[in-house]
Amino acid sequence: MTEQVPNKFIVPIGPQHPALKEPGHFEFSVDGEIVTDASIRLGYVHRGVERGTEDRTWVQNLYLIERICGICSHIHATAYTLGVEKLAGLSAPPRAQAIRELFCELERIHSHLLWIGVAAHEAGFDALFMYSWRDRETVMDLLEELSGNRVHYSCNVLGGVKFDISDAQRDAILRGLDFLEQRTHHYLQVVTQDAAFVRRTRGVGVMTKEQAVEYGAVGPVARASGVERDVRVDAPYLAYEQFPVQMITDTAGDLEARFAVRVRELFESYRVIRAILDKLPAGELMAKMPRKIPPGEAIVRVEAPRGELFYFIKSNGGDKPERVKVRTPSICNFGSVARLTIGHQLADAPMILAGIDPCFSCNDRAVRIKRQDHIQSWTWSDLRRYALKKYSA
Amino acid sequence: MKDATTLLQAAQSILAPWAKEFTYPDPMRLDVALAAGDIAPAAAALRAAGWGYLTAITGLDLGVEAGKLEVLYHFCDGPALVNLRVTLPRDNPVINSVCGAIPSASFFERELSEMFGVTVAGTPNPDKLFLPEDWPDGVYPLRKDFEPELLTRGRP
Repeated sequence: MTEQVPNKFIVPIGPQHPALKEPGHFEFSVDGEIVTDASIRLGYVHRGVERGTEDRTWVQNLYLIERICGICSHIHATAYTLGVEKLAGLSAPPRAQAIRELFCELERIHSHLLWIGVAAHEAGFDALFMYSWRDRETVMDLLEELSGNRVHYSCNVLGGVKFDISDAQRDAILRGLDFLEQRTHHYLQVVTQDAAFVRRTRGVGVMTKEQAVEYGAVGPVARASGVERDVRVDAPYLAYEQFPVQMITDTAGDLEARFAVRVRELFESYRVIRAILDKLPAGELMAKMPRKIPPGEAIVRVEAPRGELFYFIKSNGGDKPERVKVRTPSICNFGSVARLTIGHQLADAPMILAGIDPCFSCNDRAVRIKRQDHIQSWTWSDLRRYALKKYSA
Repeated sequence: MKDATTLLQAAQSILAPWAKEFTYPDPMRLDVALAAGDIAPAAAALRAAGWGYLTAITGLDLGVEAGKLEVLYHFCDGPALVNLRVTLPRDNPVINSVCGAIPSASFFERELSEMFGVTVAGTPNPDKLFLPEDWPDGVYPLRKDFEPELLTRGRP
């Protein structure tokens, strides 16, 4: 009698190319088609930023912090400046706070549109990918027009902002938003009604509200499972009290809900940007900051495009921070994806990963399939093709 | 929505059995000093009462002279923020895992462990999360006496 060979092998995926955000290494154990276990290894581009902040002055750190992420650079700089201002016992003038919020929402628009494209690509919808990235250029052009930069806008300074919004810029933003809003209606229709698209998303990767809480999910991923958490609403910062947003939630908890929540958040961003431009407070752009920051601890929470971003800043009274701790939203959502893929088809893994918006676009890296004593090498594109083929049948 | 004061008062009564000291650094924030051995039951009590969620764990090195590390467990509920604060000896820092009640703490504990050399007893996965596999043992990059030279010492 031959011994039954357990039909189980491990599919390691990644580490990813660091072109977008955190690259990660995922290892899926598979029994036939079904994922039975998943583990994560991060740190492939760990740059020691937290340590680096301790050797730089409060002002120099602003530039380091803004480079933690190339997608949500502004929200990092905003969290840091809010913390330093709190320690110094002052706050930026109302006009500066409103301009910061405006940049936050423009950044969210570009981030969400970028994600729609990445996720559409993983689902094999390259037309949607190209349309959404074409449309995203509208908001990138606006950011460049306002700040001179497409990516690191460098809008914040300690105590305020660098740029004002001119009348011509305001009109350009409003024109851009009109176009994007009309396009977003189309996207909402595609992600909730297109039969081929919802086949990849409806009922896939379902996370209940209880699971979302237990796994520690944040941001749109948590809200798509009915967890009512949005720092902009729960603990308004910047000018979110004067220019509030509505929390967007869903109850389905599947991939479709994650798509729908992000797309519907775009409408909220358009609305709040219009409200800010309509009633932009008059006044100064900057408050004067001391060079040395009084001793103390400050904790700041803000809502990045991917969810709650947490900063802990400690000063010992000098011209450099004693400690800056950064907890990004993705670390929380990575934990949820590891648990979510279990029990799903391997073919659903690309979409479940893309569903948390982990920045997976430039991930054409080695994927190895370990099976007994021979190792088969896959690339991420192989895995994606495998998934597409499976779903084209 | 509940206001911060009500939420913080609720947290204070949940944590009363273990707290050594309560302080309010600002109206939205309650700091709770705990003995190192009490972190797991205190965190579990917040979780059981449905008070907020664990948003992060921060490690702090108070320096070689002070000989102490601090670990802060940040819990948030709406606008309210509770920090559980534990002090550990720098030469043998050991703390119990809170993963029993809060499984999502696993990543935070792995980070704390590799960056500060805190042994987290009972954490489900003690592997490195961010640092490379060939990172030398006993070198903790967020301790104040860390020098990049420690990474190449003893190597050709």
